[in-house]
Amino acid sequence: MSEAELETKEEEEKCQTGIEEMDIQMNGGIPVGSTVLVVGSSGSGKTTLCMQYLVNGAKLGERGVFFTITEPLFKLTKNLEGFDFYDRKLIETGMVNLIDLRIISERLGLDAEKYSVEDASALLDVLKDIAEELDVKRLVIDSITALCYRLQTREMIRDFIFKLGTSLAAMSCTTFLTSEVPPRTFKYSQYEIEEFISDGIIFLGDVERKGDLIRTLQLVKMRGTAHSRAKFAMNISTERGIELMPLLKS
Amino acid sequence: MLDGLKERIYKSAQIHQSVGVIVPVSNYSDLYETIMMQMLGSKQDLWMYVSITKTYDTITRSYKEFANKPNIFFIDCISRAAGISQKADNCSFIESPVMLERILMEMMHAFRERKTEGNTYIVLDSLSALMIYNNVETVKEFFQHFVNKTRAENIHCVSVVIEEEMDDHLNKIIFLNEKIIKVKESFI
Repeated sequence: MSEAELETKEEEEKCQTGIEEMDIQMNGGIPVGSTVLVVGSSGSGKTTLCMQYLVNGAKLGERGVFFTITEPLFKLTKNLEGFDFYDRKLIETGMVNLIDLRIISERLGLDAEKYSVEDASALLDVLKDIAEELDVKRLVIDSITALCYRLQTREMIRDFIFKLGTSLAAMSCTTFLTSEVPPRTFKYSQYEIEEFISDGIIFLGDVERKGDLIRTLQLVKMRGTAHSRAKFAMNISTERGIELMPLLKS
Repeated sequence: MLDGLKERIYKSAQIHQSVGVIVPVSNYSDLYETIMMQMLGSKQDLWMYVSITKTYDTITRSYKEFANKPNIFFIDCISRAAGISQKADNCSFIESPVMLERILMEMMHAFRERKTEGNTYIVLDSLSALMIYNNVETVKEFFQHFVNKTRAENIHCVSVVIEEEMDDHLNKIIFLNEKIIKVKESFI
């Protein structure tokens, strides 16, 4: 295979987020089939990033599903309607599917607080079935922290994320899992397992400059592609969604 | 005399990618008027004015014609920090003059959205004002990025410094420009 052919092949195997600077920093995008942890504290922009990722994918013809545990669907939709990148037609045509995981858990008869091994297995099967039936190429779980809270042991957490990631990778589905961490801590997850199973980590933080808080984004890890580890200033606007610019170092 | 200054700055900005203008505080208002006149007189060129000194409202109250000039865009770094809430189609309001990366984002977005057959210019008014709100090292780094980005996009930049506020740091920063114009009382 020639160098040009190799380059084209590599581009085709990348999942573009549609956020220009981010795709540039990952040499074209996220390797298809990856499980990526989107880490951040409250208000850091995790949900917005994940939703923009799904919407951008839908515009490229890639169907996506957003599983929410932390926010009810009506609230999620209401917050998203404020963004220009949000297109109601994508929801109506099924290119972006919003599903409340708590309702699924209820229907499966799962305990709201703690999942047994069988419960976790049943939930995993449902997630896989939905992804397969809808033929999704992009999947978001918001948040994996809330899900892990219900899994009783570290082994169950590791097992769940590993099996989920493996099944979705086999469907060429690229997955974002949001991970909630306390502000200003150098942690990638609550249970300190999620980041080891994931193929990638996108860290959303903030820096203080003269009393003002500036949102930041950093690619900590992304298996399968060369990527920048520089920290970027991140802006979220209703008109343009997420934008990045290298953070001034001084 | 103001016409002479206008021509001098405009010609330098056409030839050189980045021009630094050092102006005495007593002549700052003359320079400001010169730049406004140049922008208003421009038909094909695209202009962006980054203000860290005056609010958009102050500028457009004196120059109402700006409302009908699609080739002119403003970045206002002052209004929101001063608690003034405003919206305008031809202006982007940045939360604070400390958010320097936002200036670069808005600049890049605005120029990419607007195409022109003429030249594109950006005025940074002023580096002295930026120093009030930011650390020296941050301003130095920002200006380096600013000059590099405008150079890469073929945007001609004009940056203003008040002469009385020049110190070693501002001296080093302003000389990152390709061309320096020192405005003297006699010039005006």
